[in-house]
Amino acid sequence: MQNKNNKGWYLLFTAPLFIIFLTVVVIPFVIGIYYSFFKWDGIGANPKVFVGFDNFIKLFGDTRFLESTWKTTLFTILAVISVNIVGLVFALLVTSKLRTSNAARTMVFMPYLIGGLILGYIWQFIFLDVFTLIGEVTGLENVFFNWLIDMDFALYALVFVFTWQMAGYIMIIYIAGIQSIPNDVMEASMIDGASWWQRLKNITFPLLMPAFTISLFLTLSSAFKIYDVNLSLTGGGPANSTEMFAMNIYNEIFGYGNYGYGQAKAIIFFLIVAAITLTQVYITKKREVEL
Amino acid sequence: MKFQKRTWSSLFIIALLLLLSACSGSDEGSTGKENSGDSDEASTQKITIFQSKVEISDQLEALAKEYTTETGVEVEVWGTTGDDYFEQLQIRLNSDQGPSIFSLQNVTEAEKMKSYVADLSSEAYAKDIAPGMELKVEDKIVGVPYGVEGFGLVYNKDLVKPEDVADYESFVSTLEKLKAEDITGLGLSKEAYFLIGHISNYPFSLQSDHYEFIDKLTSGDVTMAETKEFQEFGKFMEAIKANTPSPLDVTYDKEVGDFAAGKSAMIHQGNWAYGMLADFDVDFEVGMLPFPLNGTDKLAVGVGNNWAVNGKKDEAETKAAKDFLNWMFTSETGHRYIVEEFGFVPALTTIEANDLDPLSQDVLNASNSGQTIPWAQNYYPANIVPNDFAPKAEEFFLSKDMTGEEFIENLDDAWKNAVK
Repeated sequence: MQNKNNKGWYLLFTAPLFIIFLTVVVIPFVIGIYYSFFKWDGIGANPKVFVGFDNFIKLFGDTRFLESTWKTTLFTILAVISVNIVGLVFALLVTSKLRTSNAARTMVFMPYLIGGLILGYIWQFIFLDVFTLIGEVTGLENVFFNWLIDMDFALYALVFVFTWQMAGYIMIIYIAGIQSIPNDVMEASMIDGASWWQRLKNITFPLLMPAFTISLFLTLSSAFKIYDVNLSLTGGGPANSTEMFAMNIYNEIFGYGNYGYGQAKAIIFFLIVAAITLTQVYITKKREVEL
Repeated sequence: MKFQKRTWSSLFIIALLLLLSACSGSDEGSTGKENSGDSDEASTQKITIFQSKVEISDQLEALAKEYTTETGVEVEVWGTTGDDYFEQLQIRLNSDQGPSIFSLQNVTEAEKMKSYVADLSSEAYAKDIAPGMELKVEDKIVGVPYGVEGFGLVYNKDLVKPEDVADYESFVSTLEKLKAEDITGLGLSKEAYFLIGHISNYPFSLQSDHYEFIDKLTSGDVTMAETKEFQEFGKFMEAIKANTPSPLDVTYDKEVGDFAAGKSAMIHQGNWAYGMLADFDVDFEVGMLPFPLNGTDKLAVGVGNNWAVNGKKDEAETKAAKDFLNWMFTSETGHRYIVEEFGFVPALTTIEANDLDPLSQDVLNASNSGQTIPWAQNYYPANIVPNDFAPKAEEFFLSKDMTGEEFIENLDDAWKNAVK
């Protein structure tokens, strides 16, 4: 009786979410798979030609796409490392006996609240005006120049801004992990004379494994899917050197008007992101320690 | 049991509410359209205009208001900025939320939108469009020009004399002289069309038949690298790179702003830039000079945008859209707006243009005296400028040792990619 009653309520509250998820994620996804087998320019009234797997085969000869695959991979590796290191360091800092830890938490988290688009435009201004100014004043013009118009540095600029945005969010997850480590374990290790580094290495890190799983998953998937910061900060330029996956797909579909081919890219994109994140979750899950 | 009943009934009510709200939404839409057919046509009709020129958004909205007060037809203006107009248009059309009036830049776009554009050949103003300026698909007029536009070297008359930029040698020596005085000789900006789109037009339009040349280029019979005009164009680009700061740091606003402030002597822009110059209150005289590729003394004049009517809308709306265009092109208010408020150089012979701004006057003079070269860029493959040319141009301006020759070869590659 009680149980049945609950089921009704569950249904009531999941139904709207389920409908939304169905209409904006599941159905478009299925339609997208369907379109990926066609040659079509995306204009409703124009003909769709069935081409089978041609779109997928074409992908392997598309140098611009392969280039963007490589750039995205590079960006993801750099971004995952830097976001997690910065996030973890901040988490360790603000959970130690720092007097300003509450203020620091808020400050570090703040960039996450700003939308990626706005963040990108703000940083565009910083790179263009502030960086060049610092370069002129300090004479360090090799480091402080407009990174966004250098074909190598533009990618690092993207990593930099992405870290700026995500680190605070990841920090929150690590803080939760650190706070869930029981105090008595720490105390016992201190009585046994373990140094700070030994405690960090042998107690904190192993017990933080669940937090690592989540953080890595979040950074991996969002770095792979990055679009907003990419668009507003570099727009894929200069000379396509920072054109990430998502932007490449967008450009294929709307820039070149290859709707079917772009969809094929998107499907591959989905498979890659799913495969990588699932592998990562599987690996890190295995290393989690139950207390 | 009671609790359960209540749960289910609340579920039911919510579902019902959702359904009702969905229905009422579409109801309103359809009755609106039906009414317009039989009762007072004007009072309930509504048309939408989606246009891409930021410079005229406010003015167009004012015009729309005047039309509404005069006829009762509601006109909604949607604006957008920059390079992705066509993509946005495509999205709206696909989701059945397309505008009644939209803009098309050129034949290539019109071909793509063939199934949407309405035939305007029988409209009263169609015969008044300046010869050769109408947008045609399969011999039907589908687009009416916003106005004719011209671009070239917009120059500061205090700093540059026309004879300073008459050919390659004088052009380069002028850039070098200005550089020595710490003035930017020629300003470009990083937006795709202002970086490479317009300026790349010259070598194409100097061909004896640019349509034929472009077709040959597409089929691979000729390359840019082996064509004389392009080789010279490469040299010009080299000179620009060597003597001016990188355009990749510069936005359109900054480009025009620097010119207005006297920091740059010339910018590569069109008569549309005058709107912004007027805002800056410049204290020197400005004019427009031809870009002296091959020593040419002609301005590039053409049509940048055309009004087109969405023929896929229901009949009443299509008709209302045609009526609006008709009013704009035949009424006095419409004419006044086109010339004075939008600042267009009219492309309809029936519209008189007095008191044009100096840049538009230069364009009109060139156009009247036949001293013009066409806009070959209107026949480029769709989207080639933002997709393929711009990245190559960025690469050119970024790598210090890339020569103009290599740049032209890169443009050849870009072309191949765009037409494959």
